[in-house]
Amino acid sequence: MKPLRRIALLGFAAAVMVSIPARAADPSADEIVKRSLEAFYYAGSDMRAKVQMKLINPQGQIRQRDMTMLRLNPGKSGDQRYYIYFHGPADVKGTSFLVWKYPAKDSDRWIFIPTLRLVKRIAADDKRSSFVGSDFTYEDVSGRNLEDETHALARKEDLGGRPTYVIESKPKVVVDYSRRLSWIDRERWLPLKEEYFDARNEPQRTFVADKVEQKGKYWTVTARSMKNLQSAHRTEVVFQEVEYDVGLKQDIFTERYLRDAPSQWIR
Amino acid sequence: MNKNTLVEFSVTRPKLVFGLVLLMTLAFAAQLPWIRLDTNPKNMLPPTSDVRVWNDSVDRTFALYEDTIVVGIVHPMSVLNKGTLEKVRDITAGILKIKGVAGRDVSSFTTIDNVTAEGTGLKVAPLVTKIPASEAEMQVLRKTLLENPLFVDRIISRDEKTTAINVPLEKGANGKEVADRIREILAKYQGEERYHVAGDPVARDTFGAEMFKLMGIFSPIAGMIMFIAIYVMFGSLTLATTMMLVAMVAIVWTMGLGIGLGFPIHIMSSMAPVFLMAIATDSIHIFNEFYFRFREKKDRRTAIIETMEAVGRPVRYTALATAAAFAVLLFMQIVPVRVFGGLIVFGTIVLRLFSFSLIPAVLAIARQEKIGAAAAGEDVTASRTARALKQLGALGANRPLATAAAGLALIAMAVLGTSRIVVNNNMVAWFKPGSEIRIADAVINRALGGTSLGYVVAASDQSDAIKRPETLRYIEGLQRHLEKLPVVGKTISVTDYVKRINRVLHDDDPKFDVVPDTADTIAQYLFLFSMSAKPSDLDNVVDYPFEKANIWVQLKTWDAAAMQGVIDATAEYQRLHPGKLDLKPAGIAYFNLVWNQEVLWDMVKGFLLALVVVLVILALDFGSLKWALIGYVPLLFTILLIYGVVGFAGKDFDMPISVLSCLSLGMAVDFSIHFISRLRQRLAETAVDAGRDLSALKEALAWTAARPGKGIMRNAVLFAAAFSVMLFAPLTPYITVGAFIVSMMLLSALLTILYLPALIVLTRGWLFKTGETK
Repeated sequence: MKPLRRIALLGFAAAVMVSIPARAADPSADEIVKRSLEAFYYAGSDMRAKVQMKLINPQGQIRQRDMTMLRLNPGKSGDQRYYIYFHGPADVKGTSFLVWKYPAKDSDRWIFIPTLRLVKRIAADDKRSSFVGSDFTYEDVSGRNLEDETHALARKEDLGGRPTYVIESKPKVVVDYSRRLSWIDRERWLPLKEEYFDARNEPQRTFVADKVEQKGKYWTVTARSMKNLQSAHRTEVVFQEVEYDVGLKQDIFTERYLRDAPSQWIR
Repeated sequence: MNKNTLVEFSVTRPKLVFGLVLLMTLAFAAQLPWIRLDTNPKNMLPPTSDVRVWNDSVDRTFALYEDTIVVGIVHPMSVLNKGTLEKVRDITAGILKIKGVAGRDVSSFTTIDNVTAEGTGLKVAPLVTKIPASEAEMQVLRKTLLENPLFVDRIISRDEKTTAINVPLEKGANGKEVADRIREILAKYQGEERYHVAGDPVARDTFGAEMFKLMGIFSPIAGMIMFIAIYVMFGSLTLATTMMLVAMVAIVWTMGLGIGLGFPIHIMSSMAPVFLMAIATDSIHIFNEFYFRFREKKDRRTAIIETMEAVGRPVRYTALATAAAFAVLLFMQIVPVRVFGGLIVFGTIVLRLFSFSLIPAVLAIARQEKIGAAAAGEDVTASRTARALKQLGALGANRPLATAAAGLALIAMAVLGTSRIVVNNNMVAWFKPGSEIRIADAVINRALGGTSLGYVVAASDQSDAIKRPETLRYIEGLQRHLEKLPVVGKTISVTDYVKRINRVLHDDDPKFDVVPDTADTIAQYLFLFSMSAKPSDLDNVVDYPFEKANIWVQLKTWDAAAMQGVIDATAEYQRLHPGKLDLKPAGIAYFNLVWNQEVLWDMVKGFLLALVVVLVILALDFGSLKWALIGYVPLLFTILLIYGVVGFAGKDFDMPISVLSCLSLGMAVDFSIHFISRLRQRLAETAVDAGRDLSALKEALAWTAARPGKGIMRNAVLFAAAFSVMLFAPLTPYITVGAFIVSMMLLSALLTILYLPALIVLTRGWLFKTGETK
């Protein structure tokens, strides 16, 4: 009896010692989300990756988009530049896309249509609309603002062997979802899973980070998927040749290079 | 004779008969709680039917919704004002919260995507993100709306007084329930606006729900009316109670069997109780004869047995004819029709079994003095009805040529009327003109492209074929061709999107409102479109491999003929412009066309088959084809007259009428069977040589017209009384059923009593030469 009791006491003490500092160290929900946005969308000063996106309809038919994505964080302001060049499907090859993203206002976007050799500026009011027909929205691809939602720490739990914070976020103005839950890796700060709920509070979309790898200094989600639970449509994305801090210059993210893809980076 | 043994047994051991019937009834009644309802008329065709499989595959290929509700919002001046737009925004937000609504694809001002040229750039956004505050902003919205062919006639009318919210439903959602929720929301936004809720699911599910409600109300009311009518006719509560009891027990057995076998109660089988109640009135002949006999014999037991000997044969054969006419339905394609046919056959057999057991048993224990009092009224000479019928029969017998000539004239008229019958179906027309559904449909169809939606699917055998300019132009040509039809309000295809992008990319220059010249350009436009609109917008018009395109055809009417017109025009276009594309119709308008046609032709087939079967049964009963043909005349005459009236009245020959034609046959033939059987019995009993002795034949005809004729008249009146309730129904098919059966019964009774004597007198040489086989 005695040794047993001693072990139990020790165990209890250990539990108290572990849990008290852990609780004390929990950052605020806003802080967690902020760090997650940084890890997920802002890693490095720039990034280059080959992205393969598969749009899969409920019948299992597939439309594939192959692209090169270049990203630059020009300063500390939170501004970002994206350059996306489509290699395929064959008949849209050369279509490219430039985004200047600002944290506090709508982004600027330009598209290049190769058969017309035409660059068009797109004034978009649609960060919640689909990115090239996929289940990801523009916002899912390039990140959202911390202040657009209110955040609360729902619980902490393990997900696929990783410790996570579960955050509940609710948009401040009415959008297509009413709330979302995010499972954020407590050490790497990457979102491992997200669940979106619609206006009726029914499950709408689920994001899953299928594969997380360390690329250079940064933990990177190299395979991800988004499933629309209501239409049964889903999108699978694989990032290849992910490189950070490769030295992208600002002038690449201009209309001139949109017309004439920078061959150094786009292969 | 087996039947008489049963009658004697029942008269001797009435209590045992009651006990057995009670036991069986309890067993069948125990099944009733397991009832499953199926209010969806769509299920008239099984999910495995070609049209449903095809439509499902089209829905899947193009990510379409089977059902869409259209909410029309009408403002007397213009919907483009701050107040109305705010209401549209708030109503849309409310609708998105309704269960069963496919929220992601609800289209209204605040959710529909809009691509416009803005300066030298493009603007991509939902049409209305914030309500215009100034007149200038409103003017911009007005221009955006009215200049975009994708919006006009779809979410805004040309006179800008009407806007629509299109509400697609998730699979399996109940259209009526969603429509009711929408109406609750609309009720909260009072003002100058008028709201209308329309669309196939509303009509269909409302109809299904109303139908059951009506059955729940009408079956008991029909029962009550029959009860009162019997009481008035015979002045006996016992008798009235017996008839109702017999009908009720038969209904419990029948419905119990259907439910016990696991069939859901569908719209058709929900009508079974009223039909069984009507068929049960055939036992009126037993009571009719019993009261005459009881008055003559005064001994109850003898009266019962003699009655059953006299009417047993016609009662058996009328039951056989009814059962056979309904049994024909068992060979039809449509499952609910087969179930309905099977149930009525079973019910009819049960009713007839009761005629020879339960009814004699009741008569055997009924209080003697009560029957006596009731029977006192039954006297051929004393009864006014009987005298009038006798005169009617005598008229036919004495003036056979004139009667027949009048009949021929009427037939000629009827044939003319029949030739003017138009085959058509329109489910919205099943509601009365003043009903909410009819009004909503009319308003929206007048203002916008149309509430009825059909598709034409253009399929090639190569992937990416749709991106070729010649394909898009071919589709565009088809659209223009279809739009020439007055019933087509609007068509939309992938071509419209490509043209729209082309124009917008060229600074909104109308010159570029055309299909571009290269496939790559089209591919890049569609790619741009997929970046700037809801993915479903594109999915709705092209499939994933770009092998198939879907052309939306909005129709301004639910007439089945409208979709038929689209199909014919499509075939014509293909003939004029042979191409590699395969064009096939689909969609809810196409489904309505197919299911209505299938039910209709199934019924016409059934009707023709029933005609043959009934003739065979008549021939078997009378042991003579000649008598069968004579007995057939009043029946055919009645049906022809009714069709004639239908033709002259301009009423469409639709599904409910085709169902009725089939059903009424087996019931109306009863009168001929009773008349001819009893006449020949009388001739045999009184040993009349009808071939030679005309006055004796006329005497016998007059007796038949008066005595069994009274039974026939009573039967017809009861039948008509039961169905007349339906004339007051809020749904037109019920009124049709009511009017059809009431006139059918009264006419065929009248024609039987008038025309059979005339025909028999006219053809007596032919009939009686070799006629008798007994």
